[in-house]
Parts: sequence; C-alpha cells; structure tokens
Amino acid sequence: MYFVIVGCSEVGFYLSRALSASGHEVAVIEREPERYQVLTEHLGIIALLGDGSDVEVLRRAGVARADAVVALTGVDATNLVICQIVQYSFKTPRTVTIVKDPKNEPIFEELGVDVVVNWIHLALGALEAGVPGQPLRHLMALRQPGRELVCVSVPPGADIVGRRIDEVQLPPESFITLIVKRGQASLPTGQVLVEAEDELIAVTSAGDEQLLYDILTGV
Amino acid sequence: MRVLVYGCGELASGAVRELAGDGRSQVTVLGDERNQLERLSNIEGVNAVLVAEPVMHDYFMQAGISQMDVFLALSTDDHENLLAAQIAETMFRIPKVVCHVENPQLQVLYASQGLNVLSYSVGILQDIRFAMESQ
Repeated sequence: MYFVIVGCSEVGFYLSRALSASGHEVAVIEREPERYQVLTEHLGIIALLGDGSDVEVLRRAGVARADAVVALTGVDATNLVICQIVQYSFKTPRTVTIVKDPKNEPIFEELGVDVVVNWIHLALGALEAGVPGQPLRHLMALRQPGRELVCVSVPPGADIVGRRIDEVQLPPESFITLIVKRGQASLPTGQVLVEAEDELIAVTSAGDEQLLYDILTGV
Repeated sequence: MRVLVYGCGELASGAVRELAGDGRSQVTVLGDERNQLERLSNIEGVNAVLVAEPVMHDYFMQAGISQMDVFLALSTDDHENLLAAQIAETMFRIPKVVCHVENPQLQVLYASQGLNVLSYSVGILQDIRFAMESQ
C-alpha cells in the first residue's frame, strides 16, 4: 500500500519507518528544511519539502494514488484541514490523524476523518487496565460533545449491591446501557439485581462522571 | 442577536466594535491576547473570554456557544478558523456561521463543501489586478 505522511517529527518518523519495514511504500511531506535534510540525507526516507496543507504539495506527493494519508503535524486544526483537503480534492480512500485534545476525537470523526487516534485516551485506557483498583474505565468518547462511555466495576459492599437496576438513581443524563455478570453481557432491564463484581457499561457526561462513580461504587 | 466572535486580531476586533456599536447585538469575544480583550470588554454589550490553552471546546462552552445566533470565526489562523466554524456548525448547530480564511484556495475548497467561508484576499487580489490594468 502507499502511504503519505504529513509532518515527520517523532511520531511521523517512527511510523514511516515501521510502514516501510513492513513492505509499504511511504512518502513524507515535511515543512522544516533542516528536518527535511536529515530525513532524506541521513535516514533514507522519501520526503518532499513543503507545506502539507497546500493542495499542490499534496498533489506532488502523489496523494491521488495513495491508499491513506496520515496527518501528523502536531496541530489538531491543521491536521483536520489536511484530512479534509485530501478528501475534497483527491478522494483518497482513508485519512488518518492523531488528536492532542481528546475532545477533538468525536468532532473529527463527525467531520469525516476516517481514523482518529486519541492517544490520551489510549494511554488512559492502558493505565487504567494496567493499574489494579481502578473501578472506572473510559471506553470511548461519543460524538455528542462531552458525552462518553465508561465501565464501572461494582465493588463488594457497594450500596447498590442487591438492588434492582431501576431503583438506582443516576444523574439525569447518565444511563446504564449494558450489564456484564461473570463475563455474560445482557441488557439492564429493570428487574436485574446488581451484584458485586458486575461490570456496568454506562453513558455519561464528563461533568457527571464523578457523581455516577460515587453512586455505583459508594458504600 | 447573540454573537460569538472567535479571534481578537484586527479583523475580529473590528467586527466586535461594529456589531456592539449597533446596539442590537450582545457580543462575546474569544481570544488569546489579554490586553486586546480587556480593551474590547470595556465596550458596552461586549463580553470577553480569554483562551489560555489550546482546548477550544471548553472555551466555547464557557462562552455559552449553544445559545448563540451567530458564530464568526475571525482569528488570524486559517486552520483554527475552519475547525472552530465547523464545530459551531456541526456540533452546536449555530444557525449562522461565518468563517474567514486568508488562503483563497481554502476559501474555494470549503465554500464548495457548503461552509460559509469568506476571504478578503480574494477581493484584494481582484482590486490589485484592477489597479494595475487601469494604470
């Protein structure tokens, strides 16, 4: 496959190396002349010197025949504009970017970027999965601004253990969407009783996260 | 009319003064230059919010974006304007969104996608050509 990577600082550099090593064709667009020189002369990367948010530079990089364009300039707004230029002008199959501000993830998806990597989210997920005793985990950000999907494990002795799910008073815009008992997922219909170690998948908003957590785990 | 202006450079500040001056608009301005914002917030009917970090979304909420009738993306950064205008239009469904970009190419491209994008450089280039030809 043919990848065009816009912006070749650290992430772009390691990504282009990894893609080349797995047999893909890679071209890089880099704006800084010094960086460009290092890439082409010392690291043997095929690079083009120029502004990757310029249609003409993208054209010269062969974006029209690329399988994917990866925008890694380090500036969220610029990355969005690059992905959109590529889509509007070249009909490249896939656009990919990494966002810095986690709140931009659902926005960029809504605005048509095919793959949005949210590394704060990835790091947070890995951190939560790797550090025991973290009963609330962030699963994903939803498209609606500020809304998110979280997973809460019910600790033994929590106040809600033994109660029916429809008796649990949640914040106004939080909902339990799925209940997982001993690895078995089911819809949280009213009669289901909450037991210790149940995993509750809930939709909530960032502002209500703590309140939801307190309700589901409080003793 | 409630208007949210994104940016506080020459163009944005001019728009804020103009809109506040007609007495019919409540103007909120979002910008990252403290002194400029202070000057603007002294104008009657103008509320200023300082953007201190690059987390646009939070500041939009703080500025009460969902109650706005009009959103004007007039900062000096084309890419920030395009992002801000699309957030206002797509995520907050502001009825009237206007975006300014310097780069005429971007103006043509985004206008073709239905965004309300203006570029004064397009007009200036026409004026320059006209001035040269009329010599």
